[in-house]
Amino acid sequence: MQSYTRYERARIIGARALQISMGAPLLITTEKCDPLEIAIEEFQQNIIPITVKRK
Amino acid sequence: MTPEQEQVIDNETLPAKTKEQLKKFLSEKNISDDQFEEIIERVNSEYMSTRIEACEAVGVIAAQSIGEPGTQMTMRTFHYAGVAEINVTLGLPRLIEIMDARKEPSTPTMTIYLEPEFGADRDRAREVSWQIEAATLQEFGDITIDMQDMQVVVHLNSAVCEKRKIPVGTIIETAPRKIRERRHYRDFEHESDEKEGVINFMPKSRESYQNLFQLAEHVRKVIVQGIDDIERVVVRKESGEYILYTEGSNLKDVFDVEGVDTRRTRTNNINEISQVLGIEAARNAIIHEAVSTLNEQGILVDVRHIMLVADMMCLEGEVKQIGRHGIAGEKESVLSRAAFEVTVNHLLDAAVANEVDELSGVTENVIVGQPIQLGTGDVKLIAKPMN
Repeated sequence: MQSYTRYERARIIGARALQISMGAPLLITTEKCDPLEIAIEEFQQNIIPITVKRK
Repeated sequence: MTPEQEQVIDNETLPAKTKEQLKKFLSEKNISDDQFEEIIERVNSEYMSTRIEACEAVGVIAAQSIGEPGTQMTMRTFHYAGVAEINVTLGLPRLIEIMDARKEPSTPTMTIYLEPEFGADRDRAREVSWQIEAATLQEFGDITIDMQDMQVVVHLNSAVCEKRKIPVGTIIETAPRKIRERRHYRDFEHESDEKEGVINFMPKSRESYQNLFQLAEHVRKVIVQGIDDIERVVVRKESGEYILYTEGSNLKDVFDVEGVDTRRTRTNNINEISQVLGIEAARNAIIHEAVSTLNEQGILVDVRHIMLVADMMCLEGEVKQIGRHGIAGEKESVLSRAAFEVTVNHLLDAAVANEVDELSGVTENVIVGQPIQLGTGDVKLIAKPMN
C-alpha cells in the first residue's frame, strides 16, 4: 500500500466521506452510520478508488 | 557485527551520521540476524517519523520555534563571554543583528586558531598576535613636539622593536606612508635616521602651531604594525592550544598572517565571511552564530529551523536580511508585499507599473479567498481505477 502523508489521508477520506454522505454505494459492509467513519474504514482497507497526484 | 550487516546499514536510506552512530553502537556487540533486522526496522521507522511530511508549513513552524524562545531572551546583555576583557554582543540584540544581516556587527570579534607549531607555544602565539594587533607608533618610542624647530620628533625604542619583532627600518618606512594612506593627512614632510632610530615630521606650513599639534596627533596614532581593524588581541589557552581572541575583524588580512590556521579561524562578521569565503560559508556562519547565541542563553532550538532561515537569507547568492529590505520586501507578488508593510505605497506603485499578481503564494491566496498551497490545500486527488 502506498504511504500517504497526513494531509493526503485527510483529503482522500474527506472526499470519500462526501461521496458517501450524498448516497454513493458503499464498498464494504459495515454497522456504522456516520459517513466519515465509513470512509475511514474503507481507507483502512485500502479500497477507496481515489489516490493523489504528486508533483 | 558482520560485514554483511554493515553492508545492510550502508544500503539503508538513512542520514550518514545516523549510519555512523548505528555502526559504532553495534560494532562491539554480538547480535543475531533477527535482532539486527528489528533494530534496522525500528531505526528506519524512527527516522521516518522525524521527517517533515510534504505540504507542511515549515516556515511558520520555524518562525514560531525561534520566536517563542526569543521572547525569553534577555533584552540587554552586556556580557563578557568566554574571554574576560573582550566584550561581545549577545542575546536578543545579537540575534536581531544576525537576522537583519547588518553589514558590520556592533562588536566584531574573531577567534583565531593557530597552526600546531605556533599554537603549542606561548611565545610563538604571542609573536603571531603582534602581527595581528594594531599597534600605534607611540608604543614604539617617545614622541616629542619640538616647538622651536616646528617639528615632531620620534625616538624609536630599539628594545621594544626587537621584542615585537619589527625592524626599525620598517617602522621608518611605514609610518609616513600610513599617515598619508590610512589617515589621509598629507601636509607634511619627513626625514629619518635609521641608525639612531629617529624620524622627524615637519608640517608643510610652518606658520601655525595648530598644524604642528595636528600632525603630532597623527604621528602618535598611526598604526605601524598589525592589521588596522583589529584593535586588541587576547591570547588564551584552551584545550591544550593557544587561541587568539580579537576585538575587531578583518578576515582577509588575518588569513595572510603566517601561522594562522585558516580552516578553523572564524569571525562573527557574517557579511565579511560571505565576501571572503562565499555564500555557502556565510550560510554556515549564520547557522553557527544563531545556534550559539541561542544556546548561550540556555535556549535549545532545533537546527533545522535555523537552517531554513539561513537558507532563505542566502538563497539569492548574497546575504539578505529578513524583513522590509530583504526577503519580505523583494517578493514577487504585490499582494504579499502589501500585506507585510506600507500597504498603500506597494499597491500604488504596483498600479503605476501595471504589475500582475500570479496568485502563486500563500498570502495572496488568503487575501483573495482561495485555497492555499499548504497542507490539504496542496493535495490533488485523482480517481484510482478499481482493479
